[in-house]
Amino acid sequence: MTKPLRVKVNSDVLFEVPAQSDASLLQSMEQAGVEAHFHCRSGFCGACRTHLISGEVAYTTEPLAYVRRGDILPCVCVALSDLELEH
Amino acid sequence: MKYSTFNQALVNPLIEPMFFGNSVNVARYDQQRHSIFEKLIEKQLSFFWRPEEVDVSRDRVDFHAMSDSEKHIFISNLKYQTLLDSVQGRSPNIAFLPIVSLPELETWIETWSFSETIHSRSYTHILRNLFGDPSEVFDDIMVNDEIKKRATDISKYYDDLIFHTQLWQTQGEGDITIDGETYTVTPRELKKKLFLCMNSVNALEAIRFYVSFACTFAFAEREMMEGNSKIIRLIARDENLHLTSTQHILNLWQYGEDDPEMQEIAEELKDEALAIFTSAVEQEKKWAHYLFKNGSMIGLNEQMLCQYVEYIANLRMAAIGLEPQYDQTSNPLPWMNKYLVSDNVQVAPQEAEISSYLVGQIDSEVSATDFGDYDL
Ligand SMILES: [Fe+2]
Ligand SMILES: [Fe+2]
Repeated sequence: MTKPLRVKVNSDVLFEVPAQSDASLLQSMEQAGVEAHFHCRSGFCGACRTHLISGEVAYTTEPLAYVRRGDILPCVCVALSDLELEH
Repeated sequence: MKYSTFNQALVNPLIEPMFFGNSVNVARYDQQRHSIFEKLIEKQLSFFWRPEEVDVSRDRVDFHAMSDSEKHIFISNLKYQTLLDSVQGRSPNIAFLPIVSLPELETWIETWSFSETIHSRSYTHILRNLFGDPSEVFDDIMVNDEIKKRATDISKYYDDLIFHTQLWQTQGEGDITIDGETYTVTPRELKKKLFLCMNSVNALEAIRFYVSFACTFAFAEREMMEGNSKIIRLIARDENLHLTSTQHILNLWQYGEDDPEMQEIAEELKDEALAIFTSAVEQEKKWAHYLFKNGSMIGLNEQMLCQYVEYIANLRMAAIGLEPQYDQTSNPLPWMNKYLVSDNVQVAPQEAEISSYLVGQIDSEVSATDFGDYDL
């Protein structure tokens, strides 16, 4: 079994997600107690916009909101590697 | 540059800018410069709803049980939203269609504006149910100073762009004097007006609606005015998509992914764009003050609403590369989010039946005409 991935948010929250997660990154962040910003939860509003400091994500749904350079939309993606985020 | 409804020049829409290039001729989507706009069209169409599908009849009892200050809050918000959607139901068409250069964006603008007309019709649906004759409410929009103050700011950037585009399309470039006043019309000036207008529309859909949305959902939290709340959720979902479209336009300019001159203008007018945002925030806070002048409502007061405006403004500013200006980084009204989640927008079973009934009716009409001449 692949070992879980480590996600660090705002340099104060650290949690693990399974390497093949069914939950969106946003859900994982919420489960870890991050007070996340969100509205639509389906990739078109962009309210959950998060800065990706390091790591790689994969989109499960193509985002319709504009994703600025260095940003990700956690409501429609999952971690592919360890991540460092600013939310 | 005279406008033509079918520009006969051979143009390649794959290298046209979004605006102020050649006008569109063939409405084709097999090739697209910015395919995001067709995706937004598809999403908007998938959101399609009709006000009549939402049963608002139970709201009447709730409304009559409200205190006078709550009635003031509820009705004032509906008036303000009526104003906003009156503007949005026509202005993107009138301001942007004469200058758009990409078929996918042209069709997005039309689709966007059309959805605003559904919002406008839903206010009549809501008010008819509450009053029988809602004319007093609508008539007040034109004489209410608090609403008129906002109308000026909302329409002025559109009006300025529309007027200068008309001058350019009828008289060309140069200094043009009309009724003793001289206007300088150059492609650069027109593009600046477009940039400011797009920022003003962005701010409108990013924050202006949210004070009223918060009040609606605060009533819904108390299980009041739930029919109205259901309609406002559908409107909020549409507005989020519209917002995404203007954020796309502003970001495409800013990142130099469209017209290079618009990238320069975006840099040059960054402070003005910021000022459009912050002044919208201030106006919305004043609106919150006006709403609560006769007293608050359970679960919501002026201070919380103002904090929410700041919170949401920060998010919206970051989305277009503006520095967030406010201290409010956490959401003061966390319950708002459950009304803004798009999956949660569902019509009740009996309402779903209404739409399937209508779909069935259309089907049977089609079959009646199609097979009318046949002996089945
Ligand atoms: Fe609208
Ligand atoms: Fe809108």
